[in-house]
Formats: sequence, structure tokens, C-alpha cells
Amino acid sequence: MSEFATLASPYSMPAALHGDVDLTDPEAQTRSRALNQFLAGVELKAFKMAQAALRHEDDALDAVQDAMLQLARAYGGRPAQEWKPLFYRILENRIRDMQRRRTVRGRVIAWLPFRGDEDDEESDPIAQAPSPEPQPPRRLELEQAMGALEKALGELPRRQQQAFLLRTLEGLDVAQTAAAMGCSEGSVKTHYFRALQALRAKLGELHL
Amino acid sequence: MSAVNEPLTEFERNARVVLEQSLSRIDGRTRSRLNQARHAALEAAGAPRTAWWRSLTRMPTVGAAAAALLVAVVLWHRQPAGEPQVLEAQHAAEDMDLLADSEALELLDGWDGPFYEWAAAQTDNVQSDG
Repeated sequence: MSEFATLASPYSMPAALHGDVDLTDPEAQTRSRALNQFLAGVELKAFKMAQAALRHEDDALDAVQDAMLQLARAYGGRPAQEWKPLFYRILENRIRDMQRRRTVRGRVIAWLPFRGDEDDEESDPIAQAPSPEPQPPRRLELEQAMGALEKALGELPRRQQQAFLLRTLEGLDVAQTAAAMGCSEGSVKTHYFRALQALRAKLGELHL
Repeated sequence: MSAVNEPLTEFERNARVVLEQSLSRIDGRTRSRLNQARHAALEAAGAPRTAWWRSLTRMPTVGAAAAALLVAVVLWHRQPAGEPQVLEAQHAAEDMDLLADSEALELLDGWDGPFYEWAAAQTDNVQSDG
């Protein structure tokens, strides 16, 4: 387990490291630019991971937004190479909180005698309509593989899904993945191996 | 299995290609919201934030208010069941007002002192006879 695995409370750090950033200070400006660049680099992947876990676009966006905010406020002063595992650790905690809340809400709503469907978004017929453009075979092939992979990923246990996405999509190494998942490197290997086995069993060799 | 830090297998490479392609399919609305979220996070990080220890400076004010409230509650509960002291004080003030009021003294011009003394004596007699 690397040093990333332990997340210090933001309140245990000096004030200058968790929020009191003087933007007239050139060093703070450099750091802000670096943080912007880092977040811009991870935001789409983070959204994809949150969406795979939560299966809800707005919830996924909220989770990523919260993770960005917490990283910037609490850990923006940390060395930049620590940001990635920290960010994914925060995101994972946020996703877990949302899943728990959703479970509780589901239980409460199940008890209510009159439950409406206010949360269900109206489907947009234009968005649902198939594209009239003819699809090149390569693109079609990719889209089919994408749909199959996303479906298979959605069916994986959460830890396996997380290990697979952090490794394959984000390209973290074992130590960084362990830090992001808050577990040992041995557990990362186990989760990743099982994820690969399950995906291969469902998708074959995924030839493109 | 490809060990996690070993070169990727064909399956893993293909999966990565597929996943990266799926990123390019994320719509403009989502990208815009992520962009806004990023800027909000950076802004929040740049904004001065009250450190936790600064809230300690408010402790004396909060403590004084809590102590005042506690004293008020204790006094309220310890008040005797009879006429409240506040009301007694109010009556004394009203008596003083009457004495000081010249109009009230004019009312005493028609004061029939002997009659009231006689009536009081009659009441006393009736009680002692009974």
C-alpha cells in the first residue's frame, strides 16, 4: 500500500494547504492552473466511472462535481502526483454515499402508499430517435462493442468494476489503484483478475 | 491473466480502445456541466475559507448568550407560586402614582371617614356575635 492510501482530514493540515489560496501569489496561480489541467484530464473518465456505478447521469455528474470540489479545497496543496489516487478515492466515497442514500430512499418510497413518478425524467423522443446518418461499419462495430462492454461492466460487482476501470480506463498502477480503492495491492489484483474473467466470459475476446 | 503491471493482453487493449471511444461520445451538455463543475471547484479552492480555529474566537459571545439563557430559565423556574415579585413591585409603583396624583387626592374631598369606621365596626360585631 502506498502513502496515498491514507487520506488525512483536511482539518489536520495547515490552513495554507486547504483553501486559503492567495491568487495574487504566482505559486498559487501555477498550482491553480495545474489543478485545472488535472481536473480537465480526469473529468470525462471520472464521469464514465460514476455513471457505470450509479447508472444515472445527473447523480454521476453530482458525484464528480463533489469530488472535484473536495479535492480542490482539501487537497489542492498536496503534491500533484498524489491528486489522481486521492481524487478517485474521494469519488468512490461519494459514489458509495449516493448508493447508500438511494437504497434508503428506495426503502422509504416502497412504504409510501402514493408514490408518484416525479423523479422519472420525461423521455425526449428526438434524443431517443435513431440517427438517420448511415453508420460506417467500423463505427458500428465499436458502438456494438461499447454497448456490450458497458452492459457487462454494469453487471460486475462494484469492486471489480472499479478495479477494472481504474486500471484500464484511467491507467493507474497497482499501488495507485490500491490507494484509490482503499484496499491492499493484493485485493486490487484479485478484483481485477475476477473482473477480467467475468468480462471475457460474457464478451469473448472482444475483437475489434 | 496479465498481472496488473504487466503489458496488457489483447482483450485489455481492446477494452481500453472501446472505453476511450465511449468518452468521445459524451454529449455536449454533460461536458459543459463538467466544465462548470471544474471552474466552481477551482473558484472554491481560491476563495478564502474560515479556518476551524477562527470559530473559537466566537466562543465567548456564544458562551455569554448561553449563560444568560441559563440564568433566565433558572429564575423562571424558581419563582414562587404566589403573586410574582414583579407584580408586587408594580402595585407599589401604582400606589406611589396615586399618592403623587393631585386628581386622586381631590377624590378624597368627599371622604366620609366616620361612616366607614361605623360600617367596619358593625361587620366586626356581627362576626363576634355569630
